[in-house]
Amino acid sequence: MSYYDIDSILTDAQKLPCTFELEVPGLGILEGNPGENIKAGTRIDLPLWLGEMLSIGARLGTSRLVTLDLPSALSERVMNALKADPRTVDLRALAPHFYSLSERVLELFEEEEMVDVLSNTFKKRAAEIADHAHNPKGALGDGVEFLRGLDETERQLFRVAHDSAKETRIWAGEAKKR
Amino acid sequence: MAFPLPRGITPPEISFLAEMEQVTIVPRQRLEGLELLGGPVEPLMPPRRASLPLWLALLLKRQRRANILPPPWLHPESLSLILEIETQHDEYQHAFSPPPPLPGQPGLRDRHKKPVAMPRYTPDGERYFAAPPFVPQNMAQDHVTAGEPPALPFHWLEVGTMLLDAASDDLVDPDQTRRLLKELREVRTSKIRTGVDVLDAAATGGGGVALTGVGAMEVGEGRGFIAGVVDGLRKIGASKEQARREQMAEDMANGGYDATQDDDDMEF
Repeated sequence: MSYYDIDSILTDAQKLPCTFELEVPGLGILEGNPGENIKAGTRIDLPLWLGEMLSIGARLGTSRLVTLDLPSALSERVMNALKADPRTVDLRALAPHFYSLSERVLELFEEEEMVDVLSNTFKKRAAEIADHAHNPKGALGDGVEFLRGLDETERQLFRVAHDSAKETRIWAGEAKKR
Repeated sequence: MAFPLPRGITPPEISFLAEMEQVTIVPRQRLEGLELLGGPVEPLMPPRRASLPLWLALLLKRQRRANILPPPWLHPESLSLILEIETQHDEYQHAFSPPPPLPGQPGLRDRHKKPVAMPRYTPDGERYFAAPPFVPQNMAQDHVTAGEPPALPFHWLEVGTMLLDAASDDLVDPDQTRRLLKELREVRTSKIRTGVDVLDAAATGGGGVALTGVGAMEVGEGRGFIAGVVDGLRKIGASKEQARREQMAEDMANGGYDATQDDDDMEF
């Protein structure tokens, strides 16, 4: 992940629900009323990069400014849906960078079970992606619904698999170039 | 993207590498020996058989100066036998048919035997152990070892396709061969696809996935996808892996790790 990686920048911009533990003077602009103070106990969705910085006091042992919560894309409800059937969940609607987001969130929270659920989801969906990628019609076949629900990581996976299958077909003379 | 080409090597590059394989030909014309970078080529004297690199054999074939003897595995009988192993055999439902044994490696029939590595010697007298592509896997054999099942070599798809393209009149029943090659390829491609389930073993520390018997073109085709899946699983499991390592370090510090103690720990 490099500094100029557009996907990691976009991941940073995704919102995370935060609860303020202290009253902060003059930060009401986050809540939409500039010039006011922000009260303790206020819940605001902050971007990942900001929430991460504000919550860092907790690690240093000083009183923390905000406490983080799990984003709605990784809520209990979504985890249950993924446990039931990973293939039918529209990850893109939950978060365009679902896996990169969960990767970052898992660094902040200790969620052993979530790791297992997500790995399993990724594996199951990857197998499905491979099936669709080998379809010579590309993303126009039957699986349009499923392919529309892929998050950014999975889209890249699909592109790579589709391109390599196509290259091989061109080499074997089964498909025309371009 | 900064670099337009994908990672790994492209199919034309893989088939270029496959042209290094040695094949057997029957020359129709006399030709003097050639000094090639890959080693000298003996003078061609019809009708004596000779083994040449595939690219040279294809060139001579196109000029009608030689006939190519198909390798033993590129035969409808062998291919249908391999196809049967791939599809019917319980042991190979999720694995690929075994590659041809290396020199000194016991065959499939007597796998309980210990492998005996047989060194070969370079002209300078240095010892080496031959491995593909320097093991002749595509040469015609005079005597077939009894009971030894045919096996697909590393470059099976490339060599097979190229021979079907350029020398189909030298093969036994080319249409049947082409059909069987295609079927084999489909069976094996679907195995690669279902193999995603075992890939998380490769994503955890110290794990791995065996790719025994997978051909060069199949590796090239699957590289992007498989590497992507393993990378994704590694990223998701990173925090768990971190916890596991910390746990291990803690165990080590507590002295519970007595089996593999370092030398530094032994001194007091």
